[in-house]
Amino acid sequence: MVRWVHPLSADTEGAADVLGAKAHGLVALHRLGLPVPPGFVVTTAACREFLRAGRLPDGLAEELAEATAGLEAATGRRFGGTRAPLAVSVRSGAGVSMPGMMATVLNLGLTAEAADALAAETGDARFALDARLRFLSGLASAMTGADIDGAVGPGGPAGLGAEPDGGERARLAAAIEQVRWSVRQRCGRAVPEDAARQLELAVCTVFASWEAPRARTYRELHGIPHDLGTAVVVQAMVFGTRDARSGTGVAFSRDPNTGEAGPFGDVLFGHQGEAVVSGRTATRPLRDLADREPDVWAALADALRRIEGHHRDACYVEFTFESGELWLLQARPGRFVGAAAVRVAVDLADEGAITRGEALLRVAPHHLRDARTPRIAASARAAVVARGVGACPGVAVGRIATTTDAAVRMAADGPVVLVRPETSPDDLRGLAAAAGIVTARGGPASHAAVVARALGRPAVVGVGGLTVDTAGGAVRVGGRTLPEGALVTIDGTGGEVALGRPPVAAGTAGPHLRRFLDWADDVSGDRSARGEAERLGAAHAVLRVDRP
Amino acid sequence: MTLLDPPAADNGLAVLHALRCCGHSGTVRVAAAAGLDPADAESELIDLAVDGLVTREGGPFGAWGLTDAGRAADAERITAELESAAARPAVTAAYERFLVLNPELLDLCTAWQLRSVDGAMTVNDHGDPAYDARVLDRFTDLDARAAAVCAAPAAALPRFGRYRDRLARALARAVAGELQYVADDVASYHTVWAELHEDLLATLGIARW
Repeated sequence: MVRWVHPLSADTEGAADVLGAKAHGLVALHRLGLPVPPGFVVTTAACREFLRAGRLPDGLAEELAEATAGLEAATGRRFGGTRAPLAVSVRSGAGVSMPGMMATVLNLGLTAEAADALAAETGDARFALDARLRFLSGLASAMTGADIDGAVGPGGPAGLGAEPDGGERARLAAAIEQVRWSVRQRCGRAVPEDAARQLELAVCTVFASWEAPRARTYRELHGIPHDLGTAVVVQAMVFGTRDARSGTGVAFSRDPNTGEAGPFGDVLFGHQGEAVVSGRTATRPLRDLADREPDVWAALADALRRIEGHHRDACYVEFTFESGELWLLQARPGRFVGAAAVRVAVDLADEGAITRGEALLRVAPHHLRDARTPRIAASARAAVVARGVGACPGVAVGRIATTTDAAVRMAADGPVVLVRPETSPDDLRGLAAAAGIVTARGGPASHAAVVARALGRPAVVGVGGLTVDTAGGAVRVGGRTLPEGALVTIDGTGGEVALGRPPVAAGTAGPHLRRFLDWADDVSGDRSARGEAERLGAAHAVLRVDRP
Repeated sequence: MTLLDPPAADNGLAVLHALRCCGHSGTVRVAAAAGLDPADAESELIDLAVDGLVTREGGPFGAWGLTDAGRAADAERITAELESAAARPAVTAAYERFLVLNPELLDLCTAWQLRSVDGAMTVNDHGDPAYDARVLDRFTDLDARAAAVCAAPAAALPRFGRYRDRLARALARAVAGELQYVADDVASYHTVWAELHEDLLATLGIARW
């Protein structure tokens, strides 16, 4: 008999096209003996059957119930229970990466009763209500394809939004009712107050999100077949929101900007899930963990070493820690590009982890062009005061302008960096007048990013925790206040914002690139003067032929 | 019994609101957004300037723009128009549909500008017509769905119909080989789309931040 559901353990069999890449990576973590929240995966075959028949395949509900019972046994908690309630995360995970395209639901199983039980258990009603709100918002957003956060807007259930002084708990309770109302309005059905039904609904929703127009478009653009389907990973929740010793983060085993060895990433204390990736909140450098949670830091550094050994490549992990205990939620190879890819390949060969031939094959000739893009020099890291997402490569130096009017005015006297919360059509003049662009919100596909690339302006978007005070003519970030007119330098590749005019590495060949290209010439036997991509391409041609 | 004349189109409001949604703009762009010919638009702009609602700045980035009083007047008049046309439910529904399509539109603009080559995001140099055609195909698909966003409010508020026309025109020009009409020109698909976003927010009185 076909099984739709597989528990995740070191013994789980199955390839990435059946389990999905995420679950496949979690099985690898289990095999490395690393801490992974207990969970199970619903296969891509179940998704394909769902998409064909328009409903969950026969037997899946029973298998979900059985797998959930397994989670209850592993955690000693009850799904939707009125004591020690179990909450789960429900994430999509296709065989090929489609970042951000499909649905994720956290804290599922927090019915009103279960949330009460969680409040009683933790003595923290705010935490429990907040967790339930995050669950409902996540499910509502997944069901509707819109961003439903429970902010009380126009319309909405009668009698809400009328208690401005009701305190945090009243606000959360009102937001919960707002989200439930939005779901009834838009979907014509209520969110069930039964944990098992919630799980079935979430699995259906994740499966259906495979066919969302945006996901279809992504597959068209990236040449991914439409008939693969996605798996669904269900895991016991660990709460980064639990207390002051909890949080969430992302980490690379090496610096993705430079390739330098050592853990690199971002951490957010007291948050969970997508908060780090969304850029809505100011993250802290990963190093802060070493001071605040040394045990978590040590466990994370050890995990990164072991995962890197497994992949024989720089790696990336998403993690959560709850009350000082580390859990890994996802791991994959780092996929570095540009100068960082060259440095990692050279270092790994020097460390004996890979051969020089493998090192050469790790870097595509195209990447060498990226390695030439000017960057803020690695030696100037101390000057970096904020980080976001690089949206248009290149370095820009200029004085901060906080409004489009100021940018236009100041541009007459020299280059300007326009810093905005996000941009709108009203900012087009300012974007055109500026040498570089920084926004607090938005990702690499935001309005600001699209316009910056159209204009060829270096841009950094999604700088978490950045506030723009247009009235006061200043920006605040990382505890600093930078007045309008302050000189900053931005790096639209690495997403860095630095004070003053730090040294810029203008694509000069570093020692790693020189050695790397010498190795390429050793392989091809051709030492004539040629372009870098050509030298690497010639080596690739030889290596590909020699491969068994 | 005489038929009532239809109310004269309020060209002043059309121009004022075009500036609200486009930001600072030259006369030709205001005219296109307001659905007027440039001479009529300029005459309205001058009247509005006399009333202190718009100003014209010189210099390399010079253009027409709203004053604070113009912004306030637009908010008041556009809300009054919305309520008298009883169009709030239709515009609210359009806004909700817009929010579903917006991330996909931005994905498409990004795919137009950057493409993944061997895992690295690289500037699309438009040297691969097959890739560009694939992206434009997806634009065409999205555009068909975007038509529904404008259709319902356009029945009550004709300016939403103009977005439909301008988006279709931008896409047609891009498909015909004028690639700047995807995301680079002030009449590009991305620019008109961003104006529509701004219009929906302004009409419903929703603050961006």
